[in-house]
Formats: sequence, structure tokens, C-alpha cells
Amino acid sequence: MTQETPAAPLLETKNLKKYFKVREGWLHAVDDVSVTIAPRKTLGVVGESGCGKSTLGRTILRLLDATEGQILFKGQNILTYNRKEMREMRKKMQIIFQDPYSSIDPRMSVAEIIAEYMLIHKTCSGRTAAFQRTAELMDTVGLARRYAGAYPHELDGGRRQRIGIARALSLDPEFIVCDEPVSALDVSIQAQILNLLMDIQEDRGLTYLFITHDLSVVKHISDEIAVMYLGQCVEYASSDTLFENPMHPYTQALLSAIPEPDIAMRGKKIDIIKGEVASPIDPPAGCRFASRCRHARGVCREKAPALALREEGHLTACHLHEGGCNL
Amino acid sequence: MSKPAVPLLRVKNLSVEYRSDLETVKAVNGISFFLKKSETFGLVGETGAGKTTTALTCMRLLPENTGRVTGGEIEFEGKKLLNLPESEMQKIRGERMAMIFQDPMTSLNPVMPVGEQIEEALKLHNEDNKTKDRIQKRVDEVLSMVGIPASRKCEYPHQFSGGMKQRVVIAMALVCEPALLIADEPTTALDVTIQAQIIEMIRELRERLGTAMIMITHDLGIVAQTCDNVAVMYAGKIIEMGTAEDIYLLSANHHPYTMGLFGSIPNLRTKARRLTPIPGLMPDPTNLPEGCSFSPRCFKKTSVCDEVSPGVYRNGTHRISCHLLKAENHWEAERQ
Repeated sequence: MTQETPAAPLLETKNLKKYFKVREGWLHAVDDVSVTIAPRKTLGVVGESGCGKSTLGRTILRLLDATEGQILFKGQNILTYNRKEMREMRKKMQIIFQDPYSSIDPRMSVAEIIAEYMLIHKTCSGRTAAFQRTAELMDTVGLARRYAGAYPHELDGGRRQRIGIARALSLDPEFIVCDEPVSALDVSIQAQILNLLMDIQEDRGLTYLFITHDLSVVKHISDEIAVMYLGQCVEYASSDTLFENPMHPYTQALLSAIPEPDIAMRGKKIDIIKGEVASPIDPPAGCRFASRCRHARGVCREKAPALALREEGHLTACHLHEGGCNL
Repeated sequence: MSKPAVPLLRVKNLSVEYRSDLETVKAVNGISFFLKKSETFGLVGETGAGKTTTALTCMRLLPENTGRVTGGEIEFEGKKLLNLPESEMQKIRGERMAMIFQDPMTSLNPVMPVGEQIEEALKLHNEDNKTKDRIQKRVDEVLSMVGIPASRKCEYPHQFSGGMKQRVVIAMALVCEPALLIADEPTTALDVTIQAQIIEMIRELRERLGTAMIMITHDLGIVAQTCDNVAVMYAGKIIEMGTAEDIYLLSANHHPYTMGLFGSIPNLRTKARRLTPIPGLMPDPTNLPEGCSFSPRCFKKTSVCDEVSPGVYRNGTHRISCHLLKAENHWEAERQ
């Protein structure tokens, strides 16, 4: 990493949109999202179910075709890549899935699962080399080599997730989308996996897009955080800034809703937001959070607020912050 | 200490096994606790700790072919539940004691309107011969109590969102005004903002109706916010128990596992970059280690831990099952 000048972003999305055609109209899963991730950094994407965070991750990897916008990987728009170019590109971008139970083939042994990508992309000189490297990868992720011949059903969730991580690392990627990698795990195992992901990042200089609904996890692992609501990014700031000074009413409600493991916080008044997430199918004009927001005014229902810089490195999309007025 | 009032629920030395032809899973290994009227009791632990098995045993809902109570007793409102005939148990279940399951998507009948599902419990426990109108009125009442407009009672579960379904499940559990509500991870499947709504609602209802509750969860945050007393379970045993203050007070003595659990959760307030997880995994319940079940993962273990199962040590309301406390002041061994 360069010392003085800020590093050129490794990955950037510009006005990325992903709409799905459904019977009732268009489902706006990702709507105009622009994020940048510097090399060796982690961008946390946080939001509730259905806010489009997983779709964002998948669209960035081109597992889903973007409807509009640009995805720049080291300045190159990968949406213009053809199949062959994309195939090369995929070695550099990998994904770790949420559910270690359904994201690995139950009929392949651990070693076969980890070696599969290397065999497909022919990155090793032959099978022996691939399995040699598999053994090394298993050491890296803390899987005992004796499990090489085991099948996924013999392993617990934590170990399965380690397989998923080893497999994602097998092609030496530069960028990994971690899609809720610890949500299905118990707390003590979750901590092991989070530490592992952070160690690997440091050793290999990886860049993460870390998708999660768990705010304490996202704070722990991210350098920057994007809060998503119904397909849009509503607040974007460094991890510390966001937790010290959450500005968007939705972020404030999210933070206040976390039950804290601290007895002193017992009487804490929770800022409960009423109602539930509205439908993402052909959303109305105006702010998408307006129907649940207690600060909502007339303008909120008419005009969608733009994501704009409110203070140093802190962006929000909220009419309340326009003209510099602060909450 | 002065003798407290008769507890609502008393579980004594309960042990439960799941047996199949191949193996025997020791799910619960001699746990004891009691619950007073309108108290909330938290049962915390990770997957496989035996929390749900404990709850199912209290409800007498263990799978018939495999689940077996191998020892201990459960007393609820003065009745010994484990010896009751099924017909007696049916009168208690749903009426005096109800359960909310983790997954609202699978605990509702998809082909039955939600109003009818709530009605079912009322009809089954209709000792005082309520009329149809009275029953309908009660359904409307309980629906509005959980924040669902009564006009939606003719809708089917798929027409509700996850949070709303959980509200329906809670309405079903509360419709007969039970004395004890067992909530098995009631918010795990929900988003945080919806979780906050549900927790707040449960808290309010509990205050209004005076229902006692067992809150089963793996989330130490939820326990801190809702429970009066807490038991931490590990490998089928209660390894630490006390008031919420006992458990959450950092300066007090704790079981190494409890300390490990707290070290594993990313903290919102401090800036520690590395978590301190507990190494290793929960022991295989078909083959529990000798001595303390936590000793293979414990950073403070001594030779005695591998050999002798620790007794319970007690300091006021705070109980810990760990050999380390033998040497501590103010802690005395408790007789079983």
C-alpha cells in the first residue's frame, strides 16, 4: 500500500442497478449503489433481509447480470468483459457463502471440494500439485489434514465454513465477497472464523466486501460501512464514525435495536421503528424509509434524497441533513 | 436464607437421553433450577447445549421413540409432570404452560387461517363452555394485543411477514393466559428492528399478564435486556447460574466458559480488533469426556478437571460448577 497518496480503489461500483422482472412489475433489488473499496480494506454492507445486500455482492461478481451502471475492478469496467475475459477475472474475485451446509457439494470429499477450482482453472501443474496445495490451504484455514478424505456431513458448521474459505482462497484472489459467513455459526465458533478471516486478510493483502445483518460483527471487521435499505445505500461512513455518530434515522434505529450484553443498558429506551420493510417492487417516489421514519416530512414522500457528503467522509441520503442541518 | 414461596416450576436433577440403535446422545445431564411466578429465566448456551431438550421435556414433548428421561423430576404448580398421564398433561400443555418455537415459518399450519389456529387452543381448553362469540372475541382481543388488526384473522400464514407470523405464534401461546411461557429462540429468525419490536412486546405482555417465562437463546444481549435469572448451559449441564447481575458483573467470579462466551462477542463499545474465542468445539454428546465436560477447551484446567466432575459452588444467589472455586473465598460447596 502506498504511504501518502490514498490508494486507487481496488473495486468501485458506479450507480449499479439490478432489477428483477416479477409478475407485479420490477423488483428494485439494488438501486443506484455506488461504493468504493480500497485495496486491503474491508467494506461492510449491513442491512435487514431483503435490502439487497446479497444481490449487490453477487452482481459485483457478475453471478447476476447488472441492469445498469458500472463495476470497476482496478479501473476496468468488468461489465464489458466477455466470457473468456470474465473467466480470467473470476480467479481474482471469490465468494464465501452464508450457509456452509448448502454451499458445498455433499458428495465430494473435503480435498476434492477445495481442489476443484484449481483443477477447473488449471492453476496448478496437474492433480498432484493441486492436492499438495489443498493440504497447504487446509493448514492455512486451520483444518486438520486428516479431514482431507472426509465428507461435509461428517463436519460441523465451523469446519465446513473453513472449507468454504479454503476454496475461496485456492485461486489466490485479490477480492472476496463474504456473504454472511458467520451468521449460521455459534458465537464461540463465529469468533474463531472472524479471527481467521482477519488474519488471512492481513497475510495475503485481501480486500473484502463483508455482507452481514449483524451490526456488532460489521463494526468489528469493517473499515468502512455502507448501510442499505430497500436496495439503496442510505449511509456510508468509516466504521468508527458510523457507530459514534449515526446520522440517518434508519441507522440510528438499527443501532438502538441491538440488545447489548450489558446489564447497565437494561432500561435503555429502544428507538423502535414501527412497521416493516415496504415492498421493493416498483417502489414509490420519495425516500423509501419515509413510511417508517418518525422525522418524515412532506418532501420525504415526494423526492428521493440523494446520497451526499454531510461531513468529512460521512455520506447520508436523508432530507434532514440537507443544508447542513444536523440531528 | 428464608424459604421463598413455592416455585412455579422446579426442575430437579433432570437427565435426558436420545437413544437410537447406534448411539446414545446424552443431551441433558442432571440440571436443576426453579422459576418463581412472573419471573423471566434465561437459558443460554450454544447449539447442542441441551436448552431446547430441557424445554421440550418440561412440555413433555420429547420425541417418543428416541427421547427418554433417565432421571430427575419436574414439578409444575405442585404437580409432578413426568408421572402425569397424557390426558392430564394435555390439560396443562397450552393452558397453563405454552411454548413459542424458534421458526415461525414452520410452526404455523400453512393451510389454515391464523384466526382458526388461535381458536384451536381455546376450543381444546374450553372448560367453562365459552360460546362461539366469546371465543371469537377472545381471538380478536389477543390478536390486537400482539399488534395485529383483528380484521386479518381470516388470512393465511403466507400472507404475513416473518415478524407478523411470530406475533401470531405468540398470540397462540398467550390465548389461554398460561402461567408459564417457554420461548425457544423467539427472535433468532428475525431482523434486528423486528426483533426489537417483538422483545419489547414480550416484555410488555409479561408485565401486564404476569406470565413467567423461560427465555431460551444464544444471544447474551437478549438475556441482559430481558431476564431476571440466568443459567448458562454447556454440554447438557448448567455450569453457571445466578441473577442477571451475578452473570453480567465482570468483576465477579465466572466459569471459564462464560468468560469465553463474553470474549467471543464483538463488542460495540470497545475497539478490540481481535476476539478471544474459545478454542475447539463442544464435546460429542455421545461420548462426553470424563471429569468436567469443558476441560478439553478450558485455559485454566488442572489435572483434577480431567478426572472429577466438579460440584456446584455457591456464593449467595450465584452458583458455578467449576473446580477453581474451591480455592476462592466466599464460595462454598453446595450439597446436591
